[in-house]
Amino acid sequence: MLGFVARRLLYLVPVLLAVSLLTFLIASLLPGDLAYTILGDQATPEKVAALRHDMGLDQPIWWRYLSWLGNVLQGDFGRSFRTGQTVLQAVTERLPVSLELMLLAQLGALTIGIPLAIACAVRSGSAFDRFMTGSAFSMLSVPAFLSAILLIYLFAVELRWLPATGYIPFHEDPVGNLRCFLLPALTLALGEWPVLMRVLRSDMIQTLQEDYIAMARAKGLKPSRILLVHALKPSSLTLVTVTGINIGRLIGGTVIVESIFALPGIGRLLLSAIFTRDLIILQGVVLIVALGYVMINFIVDLLYAVLDPRIRHGHA
Amino acid sequence: MKAAFRSRTFAPIFHVAVFGLALVASPWVTTPAIAQKQGGSITVGLESDIPGFDPLKVGVYDTAALTAASALFDTLTTLDDKGMAQPELALSWSHSEDFKTWTFKLRPGVKFHDGTPFNAEAYKANYERQKDPANKCRCAFYISNVISVEAPDELTLVYNLKDPSVNYPALVSYANQNAAVHSPTAWKAKGDEYNRNPVGTGPYILKSWSAGDRMVLERNPNYWNKGRPYLDRLVLKPLPDAQSRFASLQSGEADVIWDDEYDADNIQKAQKDPKLKVHTYVGSGAQVYAFNTKVAPFDDVRVRQALVMALDRKKMSQAITNGLALPATNPFGDGSWVKCKDDGALPFDIEKAKALIKDYGKPVDFKMIVTATPRGRTVGQVLQQFWKQAGANMEIEQIDQATVVPRAFMRQFQLTPWRIVDLADPDVQMFANFRTGSPVALANYSNPDLDALLDRARVTPDKAKRTEDYCAISRHVNQQAIWFWTFQNTYYALSTAKLKGLPKMYSGVIDVSGAWLE
Repeated sequence: MLGFVARRLLYLVPVLLAVSLLTFLIASLLPGDLAYTILGDQATPEKVAALRHDMGLDQPIWWRYLSWLGNVLQGDFGRSFRTGQTVLQAVTERLPVSLELMLLAQLGALTIGIPLAIACAVRSGSAFDRFMTGSAFSMLSVPAFLSAILLIYLFAVELRWLPATGYIPFHEDPVGNLRCFLLPALTLALGEWPVLMRVLRSDMIQTLQEDYIAMARAKGLKPSRILLVHALKPSSLTLVTVTGINIGRLIGGTVIVESIFALPGIGRLLLSAIFTRDLIILQGVVLIVALGYVMINFIVDLLYAVLDPRIRHGHA
Repeated sequence: MKAAFRSRTFAPIFHVAVFGLALVASPWVTTPAIAQKQGGSITVGLESDIPGFDPLKVGVYDTAALTAASALFDTLTTLDDKGMAQPELALSWSHSEDFKTWTFKLRPGVKFHDGTPFNAEAYKANYERQKDPANKCRCAFYISNVISVEAPDELTLVYNLKDPSVNYPALVSYANQNAAVHSPTAWKAKGDEYNRNPVGTGPYILKSWSAGDRMVLERNPNYWNKGRPYLDRLVLKPLPDAQSRFASLQSGEADVIWDDEYDADNIQKAQKDPKLKVHTYVGSGAQVYAFNTKVAPFDDVRVRQALVMALDRKKMSQAITNGLALPATNPFGDGSWVKCKDDGALPFDIEKAKALIKDYGKPVDFKMIVTATPRGRTVGQVLQQFWKQAGANMEIEQIDQATVVPRAFMRQFQLTPWRIVDLADPDVQMFANFRTGSPVALANYSNPDLDALLDRARVTPDKAKRTEDYCAISRHVNQQAIWFWTFQNTYYALSTAKLKGLPKMYSGVIDVSGAWLE
């Protein structure tokens, strides 16, 4: 197992290097010169040249990448030219919000998706199964901004059960905190559960046709025990993968959802960094998010090994 | 230059109104017909995150920052509802004969939130920090007309100007990056952290601020204006999405929100709702566009005139803003004191436009810059249709918000959007936009008559004579069609009907520092 972990960790190095290079290139290749953005209305050619020199923008791009990477490796991600905050400050302030949102969204999606998947797999081909598979399809095609507005209209404006926007830190008021995360998390979950449900359903249908399930049935085990203990675990391999990959989609989703619900998370930080050409924040945040994504998939790989011994022993 | 670029037409998220006049509500202005109630708290829904308040860091305050700044800071003067300067931190002022020297007498006994005294030295320190070339402040640009600020004694302040300014006190009347007075002790002590820990003399003190979320301001108990402010607490929140911002107002989580005419559906909904109130202000200036007259086909006046005459602004307003946007025929607007009998506007006349293009003889194909935002695209598409009918082919070039300014400065465009913002005096922007040699004279157009008018208008104290000059300028620009204007600057705030005491939204700033709850 240790060897397996070490191998996987080693794979991460080139991946992270590639990510950092891509991040840097994307930020540098965005149209619009940073010097012009900072100087704004007083961007005379001389001032632009002087500022570009001060900021090192007149250096070749490979040199700028290397010096940025050097600083990053020492833990210095840089400082926003607009707010004076360091990237780490900005990220640590906002990361908990996005993490809570993603966690709740993923939990919500699993809570909706898993029971429905099991129910559909058991009665595969039935009217219920067809109806749920169909609804999953249609839910998948509803964009987050639409479901967000519909949820707000229903629960905040009409019923007034939940706040439309805003954020309350958990340590100030745990209940209020959950209340303001409910709608945004639900919005994201509504886009996620159909995928999880469909993946688990088809794997489960396959598993239920295996001989050992027939055996378990023949032994007279309770159907609920067969489903939840004998069938669910071996069927959940793809589900785990998809859940891991979905984190990436969720990060994308937070950009929209955090803006609509006015949550002070990473997504909004990223968005405003793009609009204001705050490249230092942009590069830093993308790199940190990518790091997180890569780490989550690394954990997913490990989970595989836990779920399927064949992978652990290098047979798969 | 003065073009506040990130404004309505350009980006929904960043609203930088560079110049404008926030009325810091003052007792000399408000008529106390109703007794103002003390106490209570309100939540204000702003359109974007505030990056901070240190002019050296942020360069320019956007409209969200201006709302907070008008509660945190005071300025020398404030505008009354007729747009005239009234005392705030300055009690009185006088000028030299040539309008190049302005002397302000300051209010005694005013203290910053940190307890240090406000005086002429403190003011001078603010000015010099912005102006110091070593600080490279983007804000320095907006005080380029100021040669020096002197503090001959504790309560006297002298401004020495490069060019005459007949209406100078009106230009230091709202808490923008230059006019807001910060505590020198605070910025020296806090260094990099000052940006997010501002200290002023204003009616509210910053209590807490969590990035991207909420800023809590509390009543300044030692405010120099006794009895002010009325509310105990202001909570400012960025609510970037227009739909959920309006939903927050409807559900009572916000008491007042920023809005604009591109959100016409919600404004009209609010107009019909007895629990809500629509505050609106038609300012000076306009949403404008500049032709590059040095490149074909716009080097020919017939083409420029044809395109302007093909515009049906009413229809355009209907298509884009449900008819809320007010057509503009000159660069001054209803909010300006410049009123012209004849502004020389070309009429909407599609037949004449077709004839002019035919007369030109060559095909009219060109590219127009629009910002890559839903609004930019919509405006571009509507214009494209109008011009197609006149026989001209416009290709939309969508470029990012941040690249519009450099493109305009380098004159890399045929037709570009720009903006003339709401400002108490037309001089600054008119001079910058049309005087030969100015970096923002985007049309690349030079005419000695126009220059002479611009030079004279800025040094004429007599309002009637100045108005005549500015109307002559408008006629010149309209007839030569070097720039054109589509809509006036109209600003909106939506609030609960209980909120009172919002002053005119000069430059679109929602100033809640003098508000109270009924």
